[in-house]
Amino acid sequence: MLFIYTLIALAAVAALIFSVPLRAKVWAALGVTSVAAVWCSALAVGVLADGGTLPLWSVETMAFGAETGSMDTLSALFVLIISFTSVSTLLYSKGYVGGYLDSKSPAHVSLHYTALTVMCLAMLAVVLCDGGYTFLFAWEAMTIASFILILFDAQRKEVLRAALTYLILMHVGFAMLLIGFVRLDAACGSASFAAMARCFAEGNPLPLALVFLVGFGMKAGLFPMHVWLPEAHPAAPSHVSAIMSGVMIKTGVYGILRVAAAMPVSAAGETFGIVVLVAGIVTGLWGVILAAIQNDMKRLLAYSSIENVGVIMIGLGVALLGRAAGSQTIAVCGVCGALLHTLNHSLFKSLLFFGAGNVYSRLHTTSLDALGGVARYMPVTAILFAVATAAICALPPLNGFVSEFLIYLGILDGITSQTGVMLSAAAMIGLAMIGGMVVLAFTKLYGVVFLGSPRSHEVAEHAAEVDSLRIAAMAMPAAGILCAGLFPQGAFALVSRAAGFFFGGRVPFAPAVAAAAGRVCLTAWVLVAVVLLLVWLRRRALRGRTVASGETWGCGFTAANIRMQYTGESFSEGLESVAESLTQNKVEGRAVDKSEIFPTEHSFKVRHKDRVDSLMAEWWMASLRIINARIMRLRTGKINHYVAFALLLLVLVFALSVLNLL
Amino acid sequence: MTQILNTIIMLAVAVSITGLVNRTRAVLSGRKGPRFFQHLHNVRLLLRKGAVYSPVTTALFRAVPSVYLGAAAVAFLFIPVGDLDPVLSFDGDMIAFAYLLALGRAAIILAAMDTGSSFEGMGASREALYGALVEPAMMFFMATLALVFGYTSFADIFSREHSMDIQLTIVMLLAAYIAVKILFVESGRVPVDDPRTHLELTMIHEVMCLDFCGVDLGMIQIAGWLKTAALAVLAADAAAVTFCFRWWVVAPLAVAVAGLAIGIVESSQARNKLSRNTTFILTIAAIAALMFFVGWLLQQNIEIG
Repeated sequence: MLFIYTLIALAAVAALIFSVPLRAKVWAALGVTSVAAVWCSALAVGVLADGGTLPLWSVETMAFGAETGSMDTLSALFVLIISFTSVSTLLYSKGYVGGYLDSKSPAHVSLHYTALTVMCLAMLAVVLCDGGYTFLFAWEAMTIASFILILFDAQRKEVLRAALTYLILMHVGFAMLLIGFVRLDAACGSASFAAMARCFAEGNPLPLALVFLVGFGMKAGLFPMHVWLPEAHPAAPSHVSAIMSGVMIKTGVYGILRVAAAMPVSAAGETFGIVVLVAGIVTGLWGVILAAIQNDMKRLLAYSSIENVGVIMIGLGVALLGRAAGSQTIAVCGVCGALLHTLNHSLFKSLLFFGAGNVYSRLHTTSLDALGGVARYMPVTAILFAVATAAICALPPLNGFVSEFLIYLGILDGITSQTGVMLSAAAMIGLAMIGGMVVLAFTKLYGVVFLGSPRSHEVAEHAAEVDSLRIAAMAMPAAGILCAGLFPQGAFALVSRAAGFFFGGRVPFAPAVAAAAGRVCLTAWVLVAVVLLLVWLRRRALRGRTVASGETWGCGFTAANIRMQYTGESFSEGLESVAESLTQNKVEGRAVDKSEIFPTEHSFKVRHKDRVDSLMAEWWMASLRIINARIMRLRTGKINHYVAFALLLLVLVFALSVLNLL
Repeated sequence: MTQILNTIIMLAVAVSITGLVNRTRAVLSGRKGPRFFQHLHNVRLLLRKGAVYSPVTTALFRAVPSVYLGAAAVAFLFIPVGDLDPVLSFDGDMIAFAYLLALGRAAIILAAMDTGSSFEGMGASREALYGALVEPAMMFFMATLALVFGYTSFADIFSREHSMDIQLTIVMLLAAYIAVKILFVESGRVPVDDPRTHLELTMIHEVMCLDFCGVDLGMIQIAGWLKTAALAVLAADAAAVTFCFRWWVVAPLAVAVAGLAIGIVESSQARNKLSRNTTFILTIAAIAALMFFVGWLLQQNIEIG
C-alpha cells in the first residue's frame, strides 16, 4: 500500500509543479521540499537529542514481506545534511534556472523541478529505509531523478554522453546492491540492515561486504569507480552538481557506514577496515592529483569530491581498525571525523559549486584559462568562494580543519598506543599528502579564476554580481562553515551523538572528542585574534602615510601584458611532470613550435584524461570490437552460404524439438 | 613564567639565526659583510614606509601579510625551547602546527596570483608543489616523535623528562637532520631556492613577494624569521633530547645548527636545477620514512627484550 501512496504523492507533486505558472514552479518545488525537510529535520533533532531509534513505518510488500523504515542517530544526521543542502539548492536554483526560462519550454522546466523535488525526497527516503527492497526503490528513484537533472542541457552532445555514462554505471552499482540484498534475504530471511549484522556475525562476512562496498562505492565515487563524477558534474547545471556532489554521493557513504557498522568486531572486521582504509588513501590521492591538473572549474571540483570521499573513507577505516583493536578512542575519533567531514563537505562543496554556477551563468564558461580577475566584478561571490576554498583546504580556523584534525587524532592515538603503527602511519602520510595537494589544487582554482587580470575580454564585459537570492542561498552553507569552524563544540556534540550507530547504541560524549573540540576552538580563536590584531596594527601603521598605486612589477620587462599571466595549465605543470603516468593527454590542434619565429594563429587544446577512465572505456570497446569482428566473419556475401545458414538453423530447431529441448 | 621566558628565547633565536647566516656567509666568502643585527634595522626601515599597490590587486592582497604573519606567529607559539613550556599546547598540536604553516603558504600563493604577474605565478606554482611534496616528510617527522615518546604535543614530547633508550639516539639525530632539511624547503633556502639570486625566473619564495613593499614586506620577513626559528628549535630539541635537555643548551644549539647549516650550504653549494627539486624533496620524505621504520623496529625490539 505504501508504494501506491508514494506514487500518488509523487504524481501529486508533479501535477502541482506542472500546473503552476512558469515563474512560480521554483516556489512550488521549494515549498514541497521545505515541508519535507523541516518535518524530517524536526524528527531528526528529536532523535539526536534522546539518542534512540524512532520507528516510522512498517509496510507489508507483496513480494518481499514486511519492510520497515525508522530513524536512528545516523539517519538523523544524514537527514539534517540532506535537508539543509536541498533547501539551499532550491533557493539557488531560482536565479540559475531563471536564466533559461526564455530558452526552455515550460514542460522542460517543470520536469527539471519535479526531478529536483523527487531527488530530495528520495534521498530522505534512502536514509530512512531500513534496507531491503524499499531502500532499493528509493535508491533507484534517486538515480533516475538525478539522471533527468543532468540532462537539463540535453541538446549538448557531451551532456547526453555524460548522463548515459552515469546511468549505466549507476545500474552496475544497483545490480551489485540487488545481488547483496537478495543474498542477504536468502541467508537471513530479511534484507534489512539489522539482518545484515546478524548475517555477518554468522559466517564469513567479507564477500557480501565487498559486494555492498562496490555497490555503494559506485555512488560514492570510490576509486576506480569514480569515472562518472568528472563527466557528470561539468555536464549538469551547477545547483544539480552542488546537490549531487554535496549530498547525493554521501548516500553511498551512508551505505558504506551501515555496512561498516554491521561488521563484527573480529579478524574479518579488521580486514574490512584495511580494505576501506586503503581504498580511502588511493581514492583521496588519485582524486586530488587529478583535481590539481584539471583546467575546468567543475571538473576540478568533481575530482575534489572524489578526494573528500577518500578522506571520509580514511576516517572510517581508522575507526574500523581501532574498533577491531579494542581502542574506543581511535574508533570514536575516526568515526566522528568521518561523519563530521561528511557534514563539512556537504557545506563547502555545495558552496563551491554555487560559486562556479555564478561564474558560469555570467560568462558561459568554466574553463580556467578563459577566466581571471573575476573577484573585481563579482566581489561577494569571490569572498564566499574564498571561505569555501580555505575550508576545503582544511585550513584553520574553518570546519575542514576540525574534521581532519579529529581523524589525525585517531591516527596519532594509533601510533602512540602502538596499535597498528604501520597502517596508522600509512593513513597519516596519505592524509598529509592529500592535504598538501589540496592546497595546490585550490590555490590554482581560486588564483586563476578570481585573481589577477581577466584572460578574456568577456570577463570584463559580462561579469557582474548575481542576484541577492543566490547570494542568500550561498550564505547558508558559508554560515555553516564558519559556525562549525569557530564553535566546533556544537558540531562535535552532533556527530558524537550520531556515532552511536557504530557502537551498537549510545556512546557517551567521548572525553577524547570533547577535549579535541576545545583545542580546535582554542587554536581557531587565537589565530583569529592574532590576525585581527595584525590587521589593526597594519592599518594604524599605514594611516597618514602615502599609499600609492603602481603597475605590477614586470621584472624589468616594460611591455608585460595579461596574456603572459600564469595559466591554470602552467600552474600545475610541475605536478604534471611528477604525475605523468596517471593521465593520458588528449591534444587537439597544434602547439606553437619553437622554430616558428613569427607564429601564425594556432588553436591548441589539451585535456588531461583520467587513465582509469580510458582503461575502462577502452577495454570494453576493444572487447566489443573483437566480438564484432568474429561475428562479421559469417557475413561472407555469398548467397549459397546464407542458404546454408538458414538450413543449419532449421536442422538445429528440428533436432532440438526431436530431443524435446525446446 | 616559563612560557614568557620561552617566547622571549624563541624571539631571540628567530632574530639571531638570520644574523648568524649573514655573518657565516660573509666570513666564508671573505667579505666584511653586514652587522649581526643589520636585518633588524632593515625591517625597521621597512615598517616605517608607506606602500604602493598594483591596480590589479584586490583587498585579498592587503590582507595576506597579516594572515601570513598571524599563522606563523601562532605556529611559533606551539614550540617549546628545551624544558620550557610553550604558550599554547594541547594533544595533537603538531597537526595544528603543520596546518598553520599550510595556511600561511596558501595565503602567500594567493597573494602572488593576485598580482597577475607571470613571474609571481611561477613562484606560486613552485611553492605550492614543493609545499605539497614536503608534507609527507613533515608528517613522518611528527609520527616518529609520537611513536618514540608516546605523546602528540610538542610540549609533552620535549618538556618532560623521558627515560629514553640509548638505541633511539640515532633516530632522534635523524629526526633533527630531517627537520633541518624541512627548514631548507620551508624557508626557501639553498639548495631548494636561492633568496639572493638576481634572476626572478629562478626564484621561488622571493619572487612571490616582489609586489609587497613597506610594512607588508616587513611583516612577511618577520613571518619568515618566526617560521625558520620554529623549525630550527624543533631540530635542536630533537637533537638535544638525546643528551642534555635544558633550554640553555637547546637555544644556542638551534641558532648554531640552523645558522651554520644555512650559511655554509649557501656559500658552498649552488642551487638545484628546478627539475631536481622534486627529487630532492621526495628524498627527504624517503629518509623520513626510513627513520620512522627504524624507530618502530627499535621500539619493537626494546619491548620484546
